[in-house]
Amino acid sequence: MTREEIMDKVNEIFREVFDDDSLVITDSTNSEDIEDWDSLEHISLIISMEKEFDMKFDIKEVNKLENVGQMVDMIKSKME
Amino acid sequence: MNEYTYDRIEVGMKEGFSVRITEEEMTKFLEITKDVNPLHNDEDYARSKGHKKRVVFGMLTAAYLSTLAGVYLPGKYSLIHSVKTKFSGAVYVGDELRIEGTVVEKNDTFKIIIVKVVMVNQNQEKVCKAEMQIGVI
Repeated sequence: MTREEIMDKVNEIFREVFDDDSLVITDSTNSEDIEDWDSLEHISLIISMEKEFDMKFDIKEVNKLENVGQMVDMIKSKME
Repeated sequence: MNEYTYDRIEVGMKEGFSVRITEEEMTKFLEITKDVNPLHNDEDYARSKGHKKRVVFGMLTAAYLSTLAGVYLPGKYSLIHSVKTKFSGAVYVGDELRIEGTVVEKNDTFKIIIVKVVMVNQNQEKVCKAEMQIGVI
C-alpha cells in the first residue's frame, strides 16, 4: 500500500470518528486543528487504525505521535 | 469487589448482579438531581401516560452500570471512558433487575475493554442495554 493510499484510509477513519464527511487531513494536522480531538477520541482513532490496517501499536510509539504525518509513517513502517 | 487485571480478562467473560429498586433510592435520586419531572414523581400523571405507576428515573437504572464496572467487571481497576445506553423498557419501584455484562472486545494498546450490558427485570423483560468502554488501570 502506498503512503497516499494509507493517508486516504486514515482520512476516512478521521471522518468516521469525528462524524464529519468534509474533514480533510494533511501530514501536519494535529489535535489543535480538530476541536473534538481529545484523549478519548485519540483512543478511538488508534483503535480504528489498528482494526483497519490489522496491526497493533505500542503505547509508547502512540504517545510520541505529534501529527497525522507521523501516524501515517508509523503505519507504513509496520507494513514493511 | 472483583480485582480483574487486564491480562486476566478474556473476551466472552461475564459478570453480573441483581438489585431491587426501592422507594428510598427514588427519593435520594430526586434529592441529588432535582429532576422533578412528574413521570417519576406523580403517580396520577404516570398513570395518565399509560404506566402502572411512577417510572423509575432512567439514569437511576443506568447508575448501576457504574457498579457493574467498578465492582464486578473489571472491578477495582476500572476507569469508565464512555457509556452508550438505551432504555428499552420502563422500570418501576420494587422491580428486581439483573445487570449482566459481557466482554466483547479487548484492546491491548490502551488496556481497554468493551462490555455489552443487558438489564432485565423479574419478568425477564429487557429494560436497559448499554455498551461501555472501560480502561483497566
